[in-house]
Amino acid sequence: MSRIVAGPFNRVEGDLEITLQTASGKVQSAEVNSPLYRGFERILLGHKPMDALVYTPRICGICSVTQSVASARALADVMNLSMPVNGELCTNLVLANENITDLLTHFYLFFMPDFARDTYADKPWFNDIHSRFKATSGSAAAQMLPARADFLHLMGIMAGKWPHTLSLQPGGVAKAIEPKERMRLLAIVAGFKRFLENTLFGDSLATISQLQSEAELWQWCDEKDWQQSDFRRFLQVARVQELSTLGRGTDHFLSFGAYGLQGQTLWASGSYCQGDNKPLAISQIAEDHSHSWMTNTGSPHPPAQGITQPSLDNEAGYSWCKAPRLANQVVEVGPLARQVVDGHPLIRDLVARSGGNVLSRIVARLLEMALVVQQMELWIKQIDPKAPFCHHGEMPGEARGVGLVEAARGSLGHWLEVKNGKISNYQIIAPTSWNFSPRDNQEQPGALEQAVVGAPVAEGEKTPVSVQHIVRSFDPCMACTVH
Amino acid sequence: MSQLETFYEVMRRQGITRRSFLKYCSLTAAALGLGPTFAPRIAHAMETKERTPVLWLHGLECTCCSESFIRSAHPLVKDVVLSMISLDYDDTLMASAGHQAEAILEETMQKYKGKYILAVEGNPPLNEDGMFCIVGGKPFLDQLKHAAKDAAAIIAWGSCASWGCVQAARPNPTQAVPIHKVIKDKPIIKVPGCPPIAEVMTGVITYMLTFGKVPELDRQGRPKMFYSQRIHDKCYRRPHFDAGQFVEQWDDEGARKGYCLYKVGCKGPTTYNACSTVRWNEGTSFPIQAGHGCIGCSEDGFWDKGSFYDRLTDINQFGIESNADEIGTTVAGGVGAAIAAHAAVSAIKRAQHKGE
Repeated sequence: MSRIVAGPFNRVEGDLEITLQTASGKVQSAEVNSPLYRGFERILLGHKPMDALVYTPRICGICSVTQSVASARALADVMNLSMPVNGELCTNLVLANENITDLLTHFYLFFMPDFARDTYADKPWFNDIHSRFKATSGSAAAQMLPARADFLHLMGIMAGKWPHTLSLQPGGVAKAIEPKERMRLLAIVAGFKRFLENTLFGDSLATISQLQSEAELWQWCDEKDWQQSDFRRFLQVARVQELSTLGRGTDHFLSFGAYGLQGQTLWASGSYCQGDNKPLAISQIAEDHSHSWMTNTGSPHPPAQGITQPSLDNEAGYSWCKAPRLANQVVEVGPLARQVVDGHPLIRDLVARSGGNVLSRIVARLLEMALVVQQMELWIKQIDPKAPFCHHGEMPGEARGVGLVEAARGSLGHWLEVKNGKISNYQIIAPTSWNFSPRDNQEQPGALEQAVVGAPVAEGEKTPVSVQHIVRSFDPCMACTVH
Repeated sequence: MSQLETFYEVMRRQGITRRSFLKYCSLTAAALGLGPTFAPRIAHAMETKERTPVLWLHGLECTCCSESFIRSAHPLVKDVVLSMISLDYDDTLMASAGHQAEAILEETMQKYKGKYILAVEGNPPLNEDGMFCIVGGKPFLDQLKHAAKDAAAIIAWGSCASWGCVQAARPNPTQAVPIHKVIKDKPIIKVPGCPPIAEVMTGVITYMLTFGKVPELDRQGRPKMFYSQRIHDKCYRRPHFDAGQFVEQWDDEGARKGYCLYKVGCKGPTTYNACSTVRWNEGTSFPIQAGHGCIGCSEDGFWDKGSFYDRLTDINQFGIESNADEIGTTVAGGVGAAIAAHAAVSAIKRAQHKGE
């Protein structure tokens, strides 16, 4: 048995370190560490509740809008406030804009460049992938970056600036959309859709979103040359490298449900495990501190009663991250979880065949882009410039509220308690807190810690490339994880 | 010391055409407010000057500065700047990983000793011996001091590196400090904002790389070309302020008419930044244009000046310029001294900010 400390990881958002125990060319066990702590939950104490709208987006410069939405929803919950339809539409559009640019960035700049490493120089697909995805010089980035910057003009118009927008409010949005702006939004989305269809997928978004099974996916892939689009390139690499055998996690998935409109969500909330689809049980969420550098409270506690008190005295601690659990179970969150829980046939089929793994996570991520961009066009058309965009309410002196949202990387929750008109408790569970959690009081490793077990380690590898594929397949956001 | 390539050579090698290069020079001249006659001078400098290596470190932060820079900038400008700075070391984007990346950092520092620019995003926490931010097994504070030792100059990206920002907001649980509190013997160029505007970031770095010197700074260490005016001075809603027409709550009639946001908490009158002129997302908009007041995110200690949503209702009279400015000065409170410093015609040439 030998020990490797892998890190710092590049091309992930924030700092990350993983300690691996390896034997006979394989990872035997792993401990994941988020080595960055800032103390948002403590900074928020004693502030006026509305100020959370300014503090919490700064948890993360990548998922900043989702933090805004979660905090606006927690505030709306304590104020007992609902949004007008325009407010919901605009919130969905801004949220979708950020989520999609995150999914896109992950694929082009973080995930694919690993296959341009010299380790793979003898592979038949290498030359094409290398010239397309090599970090900082590949041809793909030159096409993707301008498309992304243009797409973010939607954010500019609707939210003023990105990251850390201010327009998202508990009762709706501060920015009303005028008819001429609505036309421009449609043009922006149409332009981005063109990029996705021409460059990423090499086919229409409708075709991609209607793939029904793994068999149909491969059949679609083989209809054209694999160099015809970036999705086909990925599938080709995935097939040759057998990525579906890499990084299998717990196969237990959680989603808070996404993109609400008039009492419905585009994607359902709930949990899913081995064919068993359960409704979302928020009361079963609890956080454990056994292996965190936090004051150990003995037993796990629900976030509404949560405390965040850093302490280096916990000798069993190895991460700043707490260990959130659903009914004491380790769960995985993210695009794959969202689509499994919602029941997309392609994703359900992939998971039924080979579980959550590097292939299924990336396919789900790309599929979501196809699904959401089509939806964005419908949302824009539904905006009524003459109707209200924001409702108003009173902040009660004492109340509790919860704000749940799906970020690009998975389920994000804010738990807020107000006393005497001030924030008396604020607890945040971020997507990567779920995926990259440390062990809990039952010594169950977190989702990533389980997923890297069995990953091959070549002789002399300091940061094994297989582990890098698995880590990035979760698209970790370490800035959010510990806040 | 090995001979370095020129910027132009680096760009060509990275596939940027001469035509794009010249267009970039024009865009840069415009962004820096230098006028079209400066474009050829920029081109000449870049064709003849050796590339300046840039190391980009991340401390306690949320990565918003990098994201602003790489996601929102004009694609051509961003490409060129990225190829110029080559990201010798930037752990968000670089191609290598782990120990190899650490080795590149060391190698660059040795090879270009005294010549490289150190760009810092985020800040070091001092509590618990720096344990709240560990990079490569060591406290970020150590990495920062080590990398700063042989740097020619340091750029403090964003409000974290410049002022401390959100993690340093009361009660500052990790005792996070701006970098000038721990690096006292190097010129530090502060580019505050949470995050800074992408065009401001590219403007500052291009100026330094092209002209090989630190841009003119104000007394607080900010480049004057972007931080010498208040948001309020160039705000397109300013006529409504002068006319006493205010938004009372989000989405009300005044909001639909684009009235001034001062009464719903806008800090534009006390905030020095380029948002109302350069704007965001390639000049698309800025927070005030999207219906929300400015929160003053580029100002020192903006977190600890009371609630962001306190309504300002103590305005009795408006209509003339002096009153408007008076209001601005009153609101400034704690930063009054800073405003006086701005108002004065600064005699400081190329100020090199040294700690306090």
